[in-house]
Amino acid sequence: MINPLRSEREAFRVLVYVLAVAAFVIAVVVLIRAL
Amino acid sequence: MEAHALEHHHGPPEAHRSSRVDARTLGMLLFIISEVMIFGAFFTAYFFIRVVGGAEWPAEGTELPKLIAGVNTAILISSSLTMHWALESVKSDNRWGLRAGMLTTFLLGATFLFVQINEYVHIGFSPQDHAQGTIFYGLTGLHGAHVFVGLTLLAMVTVRAFRGHFSSQMHMGVEVPGIYWHFVDIMWVIVFTTVYIL
Repeated sequence: MINPLRSEREAFRVLVYVLAVAAFVIAVVVLIRAL
Repeated sequence: MEAHALEHHHGPPEAHRSSRVDARTLGMLLFIISEVMIFGAFFTAYFFIRVVGGAEWPAEGTELPKLIAGVNTAILISSSLTMHWALESVKSDNRWGLRAGMLTTFLLGATFLFVQINEYVHIGFSPQDHAQGTIFYGLTGLHGAHVFVGLTLLAMVTVRAFRGHFSSQMHMGVEVPGIYWHFVDIMWVIVFTTVYIL
């Protein structure tokens, strides 16, 4: 299980996951506003 | 006590020490948990005025520079990449990689802060103008303060890296600030998405 506070490597991995979620949210928002 | 020593230690831990987490990592863990609570309070205020209060976002007659903030986001995320590169370098005793990575991370972080301050100068509203302005400056300012603290840590790590203080066997002084820096970046991704995009 990922623990972002255990090591820098895991913190970096969590950052990548957060980025992916944020990119998805931004894409959905842009799409809804465009419709 | 070093982490590898903890792994081979038998019996109860020393007084005031965890048997499972290095004391320095544990300190950062507790600090970041308290930081998440502070950001949570600011986000509560943000969602309160938008969802409960139904306020227009951004305030009427104002505009948030999404493009500049987006570029600034890319700059900050790049600094996390270079931070990760620096730590991976020192783990394989690549001191050039460590130095180049730390210096680049610091410069990218400083650029982010500079662009943020420049944005404040040109944005055209102030914290006292309306609730939206208060929340905008509160959230982005709180994050900016964390970037400043992070830059201070990065500056110390960079100086130590150039003095040859780190190696593949001793790099906790890079690892812990690295965790903090990634936390600062994660918070910015959330702040950027909620404040500028939603």
